Amino acid sequence: MRMILGLDRPTSGTALVGGVPYHEIRYPLRTVGALLDARAVHPGRSCRAHLLALARGNGITRSRVEEVLETVGLAGVAGRRAGVLSLGMSQRLGIAAALLGDPDVLMFDEPVNGLDPDGVRWVRDLMRSLAEQGRTVFVSSHLMSEMQLTADHLVVIGKGRLIMDAPLAAVIAQSSLTAVVVRSPHAGDLSVRLRAAGIGVERVGENAIVATGAGIERIGDLAYEAGVRLHELSTREASLEQAYQELTASSVEYGVQRASV
Amino acid sequence: MAVKELGQTIGAEWTKLWSVRSTWWCLTGAAVLMVLSALTLGGATATELRRAGGEGARLVVSEPVISATSFVQFALVTLAMLTITSEYASGGIRTTLQATPIRGRMLAAKALVVAPVMFAAGVVSGGIASAVTYAVLSTRMFGGYAVLPPAETTLDLLALGAFLALVSVMTLGVGAAMRSAAGTLTVVFMLLMGLPLMLAMTGGQVALEVSMRMPMFAGLAFMGSTDNLTGGPIPYSPGEGLAWLIGWTAAGVAAGYAVLRRRDA
Repeated sequence: MRMILGLDRPTSGTALVGGVPYHEIRYPLRTVGALLDARAVHPGRSCRAHLLALARGNGITRSRVEEVLETVGLAGVAGRRAGVLSLGMSQRLGIAAALLGDPDVLMFDEPVNGLDPDGVRWVRDLMRSLAEQGRTVFVSSHLMSEMQLTADHLVVIGKGRLIMDAPLAAVIAQSSLTAVVVRSPHAGDLSVRLRAAGIGVERVGENAIVATGAGIERIGDLAYEAGVRLHELSTREASLEQAYQELTASSVEYGVQRASV
Repeated sequence: MAVKELGQTIGAEWTKLWSVRSTWWCLTGAAVLMVLSALTLGGATATELRRAGGEGARLVVSEPVISATSFVQFALVTLAMLTITSEYASGGIRTTLQATPIRGRMLAAKALVVAPVMFAAGVVSGGIASAVTYAVLSTRMFGGYAVLPPAETTLDLLALGAFLALVSVMTLGVGAAMRSAAGTLTVVFMLLMGLPLMLAMTGGQVALEVSMRMPMFAGLAFMGSTDNLTGGPIPYSPGEGLAWLIGWTAAGVAAGYAVLRRRDA
């Protein structure tokens, strides 16, 4: 993200926003709004003055400053110094700065870190609504459950390398932990049949099996052909966290070994 | 085309400068310090004149004001430094560079805000100090030697403002290169006072020649001060003093720009 914004120089390659390097954009805040570090504000400057300075540098009107303060719910404390704000309020100030130029691209680095549940929900809803308005919202996070609720498309990077670049649904579908749960009074017969078709089967109870490696339709068809009655046929989705761990198992930078005594 | 954007960046820097308390503290501190040290230095000179029985002697009050600048400058240099080092300390520099990714423009805008503000601060605080010093030292108690010649005082105050503007911009450049407040203040203090005094005190001819070209004595020469703290006169004209000052300022800014361009923010 810092490279995209021209703050850090990449070892090799280039980062472009809409086809141009960031520093060639005439008024960058009107194209890309980014929140990297909510605390990166002079602690002695008021929220309003902070936003006003950013606005003046990018030809943004004063009324827009009041508008974004209103949007993020800081209008009441606009005159307060940034240093006395709570982490949640700082985060809101950072988001206000990102929204200031009404940009088409928004970047948020770990936007919900340190927020209370209400704050987390507010950020999630805001990001979804920005995306629904047709903007590109680029979020980085280590909170997989949060991303599962928020993201449409995933880019996974491990040890500085791209591991995955795919829609969220595809990432979850390809996980080995995504499976089909089948309950049937003839679970034993069905297991034999499914194994013969090359499908992984795990017996999880008297009448239940979990099948991996085939879609729900295929398993339903095979059961029908075998004349096996089914009491349940359902998909058990892997969580994003599980899928992520499978993907990155080999590229964890500072991993811990499972403790053994 | 880029002029308009530079103007807007200057607007942003202007807003930033006036929206923190340290600006007001530094400016007020500089003015108070200027009055007090000009009074003290002027009072000492007046007392000496009186003791020597100097009938008809005159004390141009802008002279102690200029001598006082050697101390007062640090309040203003600190303010100039803070315009950049406070951004590195808080991380705000990244927000600044997001808004103005062209780093040269950002530095230029800061310099173009700092220079006129410091010029004005020098002229105004020097003016106040001159007036107060004159009011006090023209009394009978101090022998009434103090004079306030309008033309000379005006020129002295303008030179004072220009000197402060130049050393402040130099400090801004050093700040951009060093990034930390402690490092910047150390380097600037050594340039403005530590090194020239140390070199002058060694007494060697080369060391003395070098020290006379450093910003401190170059500034005193430029401001037409005869009082160079070492007894001997500064061996060149005010114009040459200005040239040396501009050289030091350019060097500071160049160093800051070089680091700003190369290093990650």
